[in-house]
Amino acid sequence: METAFIIETIVKILVVLGLFSALAGFATYVERKVLAFMQRRLGPMHVGPYGILQVLADGIKLFTKEDFIPQGAVRPIFMIAPVITAATAFIAMAAIPMFPEFTIGGYTVRPIISDMNVGLLFVLGVMGIGLYGPLLAGMASGNKWSLLGAARTAIQFLSYEVVTGLSVLAPVMIVGSLSLIDFNNYQAGGVGNWLVWKQPIAFILFLIAGFAETNRTPFDLLEHEAEVISGYATEYSGMRWGLFFIGEYANMFTIGFLVSLIFLGGFNDLWFIPGAIAILLKVFFFIFLFIWARASWPHVRPDQLMWLCWKVLMPIAVVNVVITGIVMMFF
Amino acid sequence: MSEKIKITIDGKECETIAGEYVLNVARANGIFIPAICYLTNCSPTLACRLCLVEADGKQVYACNAKAKDGMSIVTITENIIKERRAIMEVYDVNHPLECGVCDQSGECELQNYTLEMKVDQQHYAIKDTYRPVKHWNFIHYDASLCIVCERCVTVCKDMIGDAALKTVPRGGDKLDKSWKEQMPKDAYAMWNKLQKSIIGAVAGEQLDCTWCGECISVCPVGALVSEDYHYTTNSWELNKIPAACAHCSAACHLYYETKHTSIENPEPKIYRVTNEFHYQPLCGAGRFGFDFENRAKRDKEAFDRAIKAFEKADTIIFDSYITNEEALILQRLKEQRGYKLINEDALRLKTFMDNYSLYSGQSLYSADVKDVHESQFVVSIGTALKSDNPRVRYAFNNAVKMNKGGGLYFHPIKDPVIESLGKTVVPVYHKPLREEAALYFILQEFGNKEKLPKYIVEYLNSLMVTKTKEEEVEVTEKVVEVVEETVVDKKTGKEKKVEKKVTKEVPKKVKKPVEYKVSALYDMLDAPEDLMDKLKKVLSKAQKFTLILGEDLYTHPRAKNLAKLAGLIDRFTDFEVMLIPPKTNSLGVALICDLDEEGGEYTIGYNAKGDFVLSALGDGDLDMPALNQQEGTFTNIDKRVVPTNVALPYEGYVLNDLAKALGVSDKEYTIEFTKELPQEKGYKPIDFDDLPNEFFNDGTEHRGYRLENKKVNLSRKNIEPIAELPEFNGTVIYRCEPVLQFSPFTNKAHQLRSKGKLYASETFLKEMDLEEGNKVNIQKDNITITTEVELDDKIGSGAYVGTFDPSIDTKSLFDGYRFTEVKLQKV
Amino acid sequence: MSGLEQFQDRNVSQNYYRVKIEPYPKTPWEKFKRVVRKSLKPDLLIGLKITLLEMLRFNIHTIQYPKEKLPVSPRFRGIHRLLRLLESGNERCIGCGLCEKICISNCIRIDTKPDENGRKIPTEYTINFGRCIFCGYCAEVCPELAIVHGQEYEYASEQRAQFAMKEDMLTPLDKLKEQKEYPGFGAPTPAADKLIKKTPLAY
Repeated sequence: METAFIIETIVKILVVLGLFSALAGFATYVERKVLAFMQRRLGPMHVGPYGILQVLADGIKLFTKEDFIPQGAVRPIFMIAPVITAATAFIAMAAIPMFPEFTIGGYTVRPIISDMNVGLLFVLGVMGIGLYGPLLAGMASGNKWSLLGAARTAIQFLSYEVVTGLSVLAPVMIVGSLSLIDFNNYQAGGVGNWLVWKQPIAFILFLIAGFAETNRTPFDLLEHEAEVISGYATEYSGMRWGLFFIGEYANMFTIGFLVSLIFLGGFNDLWFIPGAIAILLKVFFFIFLFIWARASWPHVRPDQLMWLCWKVLMPIAVVNVVITGIVMMFF
Repeated sequence: MSEKIKITIDGKECETIAGEYVLNVARANGIFIPAICYLTNCSPTLACRLCLVEADGKQVYACNAKAKDGMSIVTITENIIKERRAIMEVYDVNHPLECGVCDQSGECELQNYTLEMKVDQQHYAIKDTYRPVKHWNFIHYDASLCIVCERCVTVCKDMIGDAALKTVPRGGDKLDKSWKEQMPKDAYAMWNKLQKSIIGAVAGEQLDCTWCGECISVCPVGALVSEDYHYTTNSWELNKIPAACAHCSAACHLYYETKHTSIENPEPKIYRVTNEFHYQPLCGAGRFGFDFENRAKRDKEAFDRAIKAFEKADTIIFDSYITNEEALILQRLKEQRGYKLINEDALRLKTFMDNYSLYSGQSLYSADVKDVHESQFVVSIGTALKSDNPRVRYAFNNAVKMNKGGGLYFHPIKDPVIESLGKTVVPVYHKPLREEAALYFILQEFGNKEKLPKYIVEYLNSLMVTKTKEEEVEVTEKVVEVVEETVVDKKTGKEKKVEKKVTKEVPKKVKKPVEYKVSALYDMLDAPEDLMDKLKKVLSKAQKFTLILGEDLYTHPRAKNLAKLAGLIDRFTDFEVMLIPPKTNSLGVALICDLDEEGGEYTIGYNAKGDFVLSALGDGDLDMPALNQQEGTFTNIDKRVVPTNVALPYEGYVLNDLAKALGVSDKEYTIEFTKELPQEKGYKPIDFDDLPNEFFNDGTEHRGYRLENKKVNLSRKNIEPIAELPEFNGTVIYRCEPVLQFSPFTNKAHQLRSKGKLYASETFLKEMDLEEGNKVNIQKDNITITTEVELDDKIGSGAYVGTFDPSIDTKSLFDGYRFTEVKLQKV
Repeated sequence: MSGLEQFQDRNVSQNYYRVKIEPYPKTPWEKFKRVVRKSLKPDLLIGLKITLLEMLRFNIHTIQYPKEKLPVSPRFRGIHRLLRLLESGNERCIGCGLCEKICISNCIRIDTKPDENGRKIPTEYTINFGRCIFCGYCAEVCPELAIVHGQEYEYASEQRAQFAMKEDMLTPLDKLKEQKEYPGFGAPTPAADKLIKKTPLAY
């Protein structure tokens, strides 16, 4: 292997890590502000101008807080669980092409850490592993709420993994590749080429599943305060809790990128907007959608969640795949 | 006394005795008749007229209407409601609206009745009169609050006997006649009287009395309050703790009223003392001398020293300001560890009672204070009544006033207070040591000569002497007079004058020497010979007789003989005999403890001098709780075991702790001894917590229980005649506490604190050429005591010293008998 | 209806309406129909619209507390104030102790004594604000309008001793002019005069 490739990869890894950690923090600020405005509030105002430094203050707080491990917890697992969440969230980003290729000083950079031919499968797989974070955290905490949260993690993540997979199967069939760059390239040439027009049902199903996978309202059952205190994270504090948090926000970005890439034309230029900006706009729209939905909708009950998954979404996804197949076969 | 009758009040049949007031019958039967001015055991004042009722269709006042058999009473009619409401409105006219600050607020009868009569509007008005506040020593009189119910005047006259208060003219506007038509009859009459009078002191500006403060207690409004209590708290904030007064043997029922001392100091403090004035009066010492507590902390070292001292000691000296339970602990200490118990006053009382029993046939004396109240004739011998036991004095006065009774007061020191009780109370001021003659005098004048033992009758007869005196005798003389008469001639029809001789018998008074027989006892006692004549009227109606005997007799050199005579009087005269125990629980100690005469070498003093001193005064080697910090019982003058409760907390050690450490007591609390008090002496096995401590509505006392009076075999020995005792020649002083003082405990109370002095009458000061404030040396044998002289205008002769001030050792001047001969020197 | 009238009109039932609750679907087909109906009816989107519009309107209701403060209702029960008479500057409290009696959390204590003119005065007055529940009974019962509830509601303190002695609550003499006659909690109603039956006077 070339040294340059190694250096490039390491630099990319560091950039992704640093950038998305920071973005996660920034997203919290944005979330708080947006939620506040939607609720006729101001949100954080005191730290820095318009409370912008609140993120920094929270970061300092999280880092300096006592690393507390409860007496009844299984220490090693308790300690490692948040790392799994954060790690899987970031690893999943390895196969995502963030931007179009660009050149710095004659060196062509491909803003993807690893362009593998099964990129989509890898992303979904790693995100699937991400369920071990909350699951282990909840089981290791030695706390009833945590255990309930862990159980909810298992059912929710596993169930919606099926919907994600099935819904994305139809676009995969159309594109005929698992590489996300191929997806991007397939949709080159304007809005009309976006997969969302060919697969609207898959898009909606994937988006719904994305909400569930990232544990966002209306599917935030894992740590719903009114029911299970803080779910699997009940016993966590300080930076360990912070890692869960970063993982969740990183996942939101991952889902945002995935939806943009698979259904909404990826980083292809959009009218006059260059591709890099276009994909960012799309991703931020989805981040905003996550927040918006949280401000607007109540969350569902676990049984409704399961009912929705297995009795509604999955059959629709299967039907969608079958119809797509039939259409492809005969037309 | 009287026959039982039945009357009906509001349809309820009530049994009572003839002559009882309707109001009292109603109260005894739980029927409410409003009344402000009436006081139980005192004469009806008829000031408030609230107790208006309808008896057999006629309106009468329940407080002075006597019950007749078959009477039917209705307490509420339409007219009565109108009258009562009008009366309450009149009382509210010009009554200052200062309930907010008034001391009586919350327990004010004016407030209560105003609400009871539903007064929500005022119809009457009159110009107010300026009525200034008066400060009478302990007593604060705010005339503007006064409703002139005259309860203070009544109680002072009928119960206490000082008669220091009276109604004086108010000086206000005259009531407009137009009111008469506008308002109910009784309300107008009451207002008319109210508008004319206000309360004032008989003596003028200052109050001249013995400061019992009963007027404070009876005042239904906030007009009369204790100067010390005035405006310091509100009555509803106070904790009422029922207890027995710890100062004298009457052990009167009282309430210590406590509250935290101040905002900074959460320790409870006694703010005042109140009493059930309808049922039992209270003297000034009890009312004002309440804060004698000993605020001590647990001192382990002192306790250990005390244990060592107890191990070393062979004698315990103690005084009688202890509870029965403590006395029992001391007795147990004696039984199990062989200490000698020394208590002079209780031992003397015990000796006296033992000798008394031999001739009366009963283990205890026969009368109690209630008997005195009910008597028509009361005799007191050997006690300075107003100092020794104020409540007995009140009872004496009450008997004189309410029963139209009389009495005799034998004492060497002249007492203007007793003299003022009434003309039917004859004081006999004999010389000291002549008490024997006084007792023989009772036998002579009141003894049933047929029943009395022959030798006594013979002895009494032998004392008869023949005297002559000039007496005015009425002689009738025959006188012949010439009288001119006008006669009409029948024939002529003319008038003519005729002289006639008429013989008339004309009475004439002539002085003649008359021989008569009189007992030599009169001379011995310096008694007026017409004594019995003065009392004739009283005695003719008297049914109940009480003889009060005091400490002079127990300390008398011939105490045993006196006791026997007292026993004889109890048995062979109409008199019931009452002994005044000299100190609070002398009777209890005398009954419970097996006292010794002589002490040993190393003594423990409990509130007394000793080598190691346990003291409730806080000046000893180990602190003990004062009697307002202890629960327990006293055996009081009524031969009653009365409970007392803890008013103030005590953190130090108590006698029971010592007894436990010495292995004598296995009880956790002192009151567990209550049921173990000796039953052979008349005590009952009742738990402390089961002892009642209250009065019922009909005035019956339910405090603790009465001691059982046991039969004692009579002695057949003859009683000795009057012994010739050497007379005192020089200056004689008496051992007696000034009014309001009883012991160092009363002297510890902040309102009563004073220095011990020589208290002398005016005549004594003149005789000795002394003035008030002079310092004198009192010398006896080789003891010299220097003290100031103070004029006591409540004695008519002689002088006395008290023992309440421990800083001067007046006790050593006396060897037993309460009179002693000393040399006085002006310094 | 003005605000006060609306408040005094206790018959609120006229504004009530019954929420229609459709019967719960029983058969799977009914359930399916309901899901379709609920999903296709733009319920979810309306929710999104409302929140989005609120955000765009930017109608913020936040009071930035330490910097901005809301005016307090006159009937608010804040830290007690002991008032003085405006004319003489004398304390209004006459030491009647009714507040001490009525206090249900037993946190008022008062020491009184007669002063040199023979009037009852409170020498010390304390409210244990650690225990006070600000029920307002003391102000309600005070016959002299001497104790009232002030407007102050920031009463956290690090020291127990600061809960609270007379001098902390009493209007200082130099601030007598700033003392407001109290229309709020514990004050007599405006019509109080009419309700009182007049006592005849003979002057």
